[in-house]
Amino acid sequence: MSEPCAVVGVGQTHHKSRRRDVSFAGLVREAAVRALEDAHMTWADIEAVIIGKAPDLFEGVMKPELYLSDALGGAGKPVFRVHTAGSVGGATAIVAAHHIQSRVHRRVLALAFEKQSEGNTQFALGSGRGASLGAGGAFAPFMRAYIQRSGAPEHIGWKVAVKDRLNALRNPHAHLKIEDISIEKVKESPMMWDPIRYLESCPSSDGACAVVLTDQQGGKEAAAAGRPPAWILGTAVRSEPGNFPGRDPVRPQGAVDCAWDLYRQAGITDPRHQIDMAELYVPFSWYEPMWLEAHDIAERGEGWKMVDRDETALGGSFPVNTSGGVLSSNPIGASGLLRFAEAANQVRGMSGAMQVDGARVALAQAYGANAQYFAMWVVASSLQPFG
Amino acid sequence: MPESTDIAIVAWGMTPMVRHTDQTEPGLLRVAIGQAVERAGVSRQEIDFTCEGSCDYISGATFSFVQNIGALGAWPPKRDSHVEMDGAWAFYEAWVRLLHGDIQTALVTGSGRSSTAEPSLIYPMEMDPYYLAPLGADPATLAALQARALLDAGKITERQMAEVAARSRRVAQDNPYAQVRGDFDVEELLASDYVRDPLRRHDLPPISDGACAVVLATADKARELCERPAWVSGIAHRSEVHNPALRDLTDSVGTRDAALAAGLDLSADSIDVAELQAAFSHEELLLRASLGLSERTEINPSGGALAANPIMATGLVRIAEAARQIIENGRQKTLAHSTSGPCLQQNLVCILEARP
Amino acid sequence: MARTVETVIQFPYKRSLGPVFGEFMTALTHRRILGVPWGDKVLCPPLEWDPYTAEELTGDLVEVGPAGTVTNWTWVGVPTAQHPLDHPFAFAHIRLDGADTPMFHAVDCGSPESIEVGARVAPRWRAARVGSITDIECFVIGEEPVTPEADGGGAAEPVTLMDYHVAITYNNPVPANAERSVEAAGRQVLLGQRCPECGRVYSGIVGSCVIDDADMGPDHEVELPQRGTVTNFTIVTPTQYPGQTETEPFSRCMILLEASDVVLSFQLVLDTPPTDIRVGMKVAAVWPSPAERASAGGAGGGLVGWMPTGEPDNSDPDLVNRIM
Repeated sequence: MSEPCAVVGVGQTHHKSRRRDVSFAGLVREAAVRALEDAHMTWADIEAVIIGKAPDLFEGVMKPELYLSDALGGAGKPVFRVHTAGSVGGATAIVAAHHIQSRVHRRVLALAFEKQSEGNTQFALGSGRGASLGAGGAFAPFMRAYIQRSGAPEHIGWKVAVKDRLNALRNPHAHLKIEDISIEKVKESPMMWDPIRYLESCPSSDGACAVVLTDQQGGKEAAAAGRPPAWILGTAVRSEPGNFPGRDPVRPQGAVDCAWDLYRQAGITDPRHQIDMAELYVPFSWYEPMWLEAHDIAERGEGWKMVDRDETALGGSFPVNTSGGVLSSNPIGASGLLRFAEAANQVRGMSGAMQVDGARVALAQAYGANAQYFAMWVVASSLQPFG
Repeated sequence: MPESTDIAIVAWGMTPMVRHTDQTEPGLLRVAIGQAVERAGVSRQEIDFTCEGSCDYISGATFSFVQNIGALGAWPPKRDSHVEMDGAWAFYEAWVRLLHGDIQTALVTGSGRSSTAEPSLIYPMEMDPYYLAPLGADPATLAALQARALLDAGKITERQMAEVAARSRRVAQDNPYAQVRGDFDVEELLASDYVRDPLRRHDLPPISDGACAVVLATADKARELCERPAWVSGIAHRSEVHNPALRDLTDSVGTRDAALAAGLDLSADSIDVAELQAAFSHEELLLRASLGLSERTEINPSGGALAANPIMATGLVRIAEAARQIIENGRQKTLAHSTSGPCLQQNLVCILEARP
Repeated sequence: MARTVETVIQFPYKRSLGPVFGEFMTALTHRRILGVPWGDKVLCPPLEWDPYTAEELTGDLVEVGPAGTVTNWTWVGVPTAQHPLDHPFAFAHIRLDGADTPMFHAVDCGSPESIEVGARVAPRWRAARVGSITDIECFVIGEEPVTPEADGGGAAEPVTLMDYHVAITYNNPVPANAERSVEAAGRQVLLGQRCPECGRVYSGIVGSCVIDDADMGPDHEVELPQRGTVTNFTIVTPTQYPGQTETEPFSRCMILLEASDVVLSFQLVLDTPPTDIRVGMKVAAVWPSPAERASAGGAGGGLVGWMPTGEPDNSDPDLVNRIM
């Protein structure tokens, strides 16, 4: 029987294209200090530090956990660094949770960050070579295939973009806040990777996110102090090869398997109705309906209809990315952890203007590389939300 | 410490560690993994969890670890993770994962081809970005400062360093996987020039390419797969302050703390063999002293990192070698150590034992 | 030993310094070295945090040095391209007067016999200082700092950014497998490999099946068709970065090879503006001429690209799902 694990503190930076006001460690410490304050803890209370980050070429600092060890209270403690491409922020939270669930530690700090402005994202993504496909180039064919096989009308992507950008206006930490966002504005923005337009794409952000995880006693103490935690009902990861003859990269098997492993752990048989909201890794608008289907929240071919019917809007029956999502803030290494953290805040009732009323069970997902790495968790306001 | 869940190493595999391979990193991994799963008597598909250790800046490309998935047999899709650290830390993650109790087997790898670029130009990038990296602070330079600190404190001698180097390469002759092997005369070694005063060429590690894989299993599964599993009696890791200028370089506090957290009983003198990731000769002397290992403990019968140093796999190789001493050589209790960062900044200690 | 392909990773990184490193670096331009109060000690060079507790260090920075004492040293007989001096020198830990922790830096003292623990050293300042630890060119034996005659002076504004340029050259061996593709391209043959266990046909020479881990060698080679259909595509609007070669939107296409299930990824379709790329277009492989081969052009296994044949499109709407 594994130890119940609780999220008792969440912190993040104000994400921006360039955080020129802080040093490398300063950026990460900002999120860490906020998470510790939220958890009513100090550096000394933390037993282990787990750091997640996307490729080191983004900042030109190799194995940054070495430099950051003492900056993050890691001197004399175990310091760990996870790297699973774009899903890394989620994988970081999961690895951190395992330390609690396996009873190796009682209080750990998980952090993920990116200070992309120190380098150039497109340069790094292409390992410095010319004609890089860029962030969206590899995914455009997958999205095109989804549109064809689902019969979705072209405006679905624009709708997702508008929804996420409206949600971002309610998120004090979001990078992109476009006050006058509209379908027209999205439609008229430059095409980036056909069919994805500029306003349907994620930004490149400097940012960091941190969460404090504790064991059951820590969660109960937080609850008793009037700070209800988010309880982790389940975690799952899957990796699959990114290219092989006959692979379906649009509805990857890993996405399906990861979700059902997770649902089984969490006691979920009807994800559409048992989950109250989701933070999904959507860096390009069409990925919202694609993930809704790949994780069997919507039937195949029906994901776009959830969007079209406004079910995934903040006031809808299955809100998705109430934080504004990756479309609004994308410090790549942190983006996965932001999904996990925002889901946790929802079930803690701490999402402020983004709060989904009565959210008791929330799903978070991150993916990486050629849609081949998946990291997911389900958090809830109690350990037994389904009775 | 967590509730005891019996976890053991049941098999390992590694490539010959060489100065330069023409093989790709996934190709090296296929060899190492193939050996490991065959020895374990499991298929890649049966493995419940995989975790890899590797580094983009050594491979020379962003997301370089992604291509390594091809060697894992990750179909159907696998519970899998990756650390941008030595495979020894991937081993640690697998151990934590197995403690959950819901899965039975894990495959851990470490891989790297250091031959493709010049290490003295790469490793400054892992140092303090404001104060060390811009000066090109290379590992041999920082290691030399630690060596001098130890010499000036009277804790080691240059002769002892040369003896470590000579012994490592001599015993490596019995290790078909090791790279630098041979009989070297200590007097001749001491007569050679310094490369980084007080370090001479023999005090430095070779540049190596290689991959290593280890299979872990829990409880009954481990007993099913291996006649004499190497049980993990404890494992822990600790970091120290990054900048070597802020540390007492004459004591590896982190190694000792990790060993104590892993359950090492300093007074019991029970370690038969210790495989220590000492890339520089003085590090072995420092680690031995910091761990309080007595003369009865045989150090690095594999030849250690002075005989082969495939960075990102070197630490996992120590774990595999320490396990081999139990699985194949009838030893009772062994210790494996891995390290990362300048002057032994981060240290991991794994204690393995045979059980009736 | 195999042929190697050289790649260089280099990028002009620009680091923001934040308040503490910024103040330290700005002071360097003014030939002042600062430390930060650390309990009852002074930490130099300064950090934003206490290295042992991570608590923020909030005291005002204080001046230390300029001279100091060597606490440790080593000799660099053959400097690397990243080292601050291009002739032999010492690297050392130097505890500046007034500081309690040493700084790592170079000492230009001529020979290893000229330096020892306890030696007194002082900074030699670079003439043009920008706000970097290298504004101190190195230290020299003695008590007095050395300032060049044509001294550039201190920064007019606080320094907030630091440049970091490094170039690492990698030499990757081309595996024997891949050389077979190259050799076949010389004969204008497109090679693939069929897995003996599952029958999947891979484009190119991959060496093993990622599903079965079956070895695939010369016995498993197949010659692939050189005509096909565009099934899917991406049109990239290029962004500028060091190393970028494109300035106009460019397309890359998935091509399903005729009478097979093999799909080639991200191929270049020639003489076709991105807006004219269509799912269903018929294309045929274009090989380089001997002269072009000599100047090493082409994309994807030696091909220059794919040329539309002008045949009628394949109108099957499901084609777009043939991505891999």
